[in-house]
Amino acid sequence: MADNGDDGANVSEPLDLVRLLIDEFVFVKLRGDRELKGRLHAYDSHCNLVLGEVEETIYVVEDEDDETDELKTVNRKSEMLFVRGDSVVLISPYSGA
Amino acid sequence: MLFFSFFKTLIDHEVTVELKNDIQIRGTLKSVDQYLNIKLENISVVEEIKYPHLSAVKNVFIRGSVVRYVHLPASAVDVPLLEDATRREAANQAGKAK
Amino acid sequence: MENGTAQGDGKDPSGFLSQIIGAPVTVKLNSGVVYKGELQSVDGYMNIALEKTEEYVNGSKRRTYGDAFVRGNNVMYISAD
Repeated sequence: MADNGDDGANVSEPLDLVRLLIDEFVFVKLRGDRELKGRLHAYDSHCNLVLGEVEETIYVVEDEDDETDELKTVNRKSEMLFVRGDSVVLISPYSGA
Repeated sequence: MLFFSFFKTLIDHEVTVELKNDIQIRGTLKSVDQYLNIKLENISVVEEIKYPHLSAVKNVFIRGSVVRYVHLPASAVDVPLLEDATRREAANQAGKAK
Repeated sequence: MENGTAQGDGKDPSGFLSQIIGAPVTVKLNSGVVYKGELQSVDGYMNIALEKTEEYVNGSKRRTYGDAFVRGNNVMYISAD
């Protein structure tokens, strides 16, 4: 149980955490107030991703003329989605609703 | 190289590229390079009313860096193959960021 | 050059980071979002793996994550609590 092992076999570098999530449901936080839930099918070192059964949530401020700014969420679905890595902020195992 | 190879398997399939400026362009994937630049043919713009300036354009070359998402047909993706290729790529990359 | 094993002695930035592996840390992103958790690992891009993480937006707790991978380019700082 050497915790500084350099062999790359276990959880010794951050991306190992993502490797263990292949074929699992993940939560992904993106730039621009977007979040994704979906099954992780592929990733690389840039954090490019392919997710299946995706649900996207976008947080938007509605800029109504007379009203104060309102926080709204938009939900979208996608059966298979490639995500470019430069938009990715955080990846975590998805634990239910 | 994983995603370059992956996109090559999707050539001649219909995809929707969503750009970082929210424009969505649907078309046939005709080519891709190592930067994930993308060439689409026979395009149509989703929400054309909002983004009318591409309505006369047939083919586009999209710089990889402006892409946010590419929506793919699930039927064109061999999921077990892709997951195995991902594990192989991860094994190759292990330790390179140290 | 007097020290061949510079890594892990805390005398340079990456030495500092490897020294605080396993410790509770605060990670602030460029967006202002803050993560507090146990530092599992860091790499050369400042990608970070955290355990038992709490997410704070504008000072108030938003979410918790058992494990979280944070992409390095978003990181402003990592601080040992």
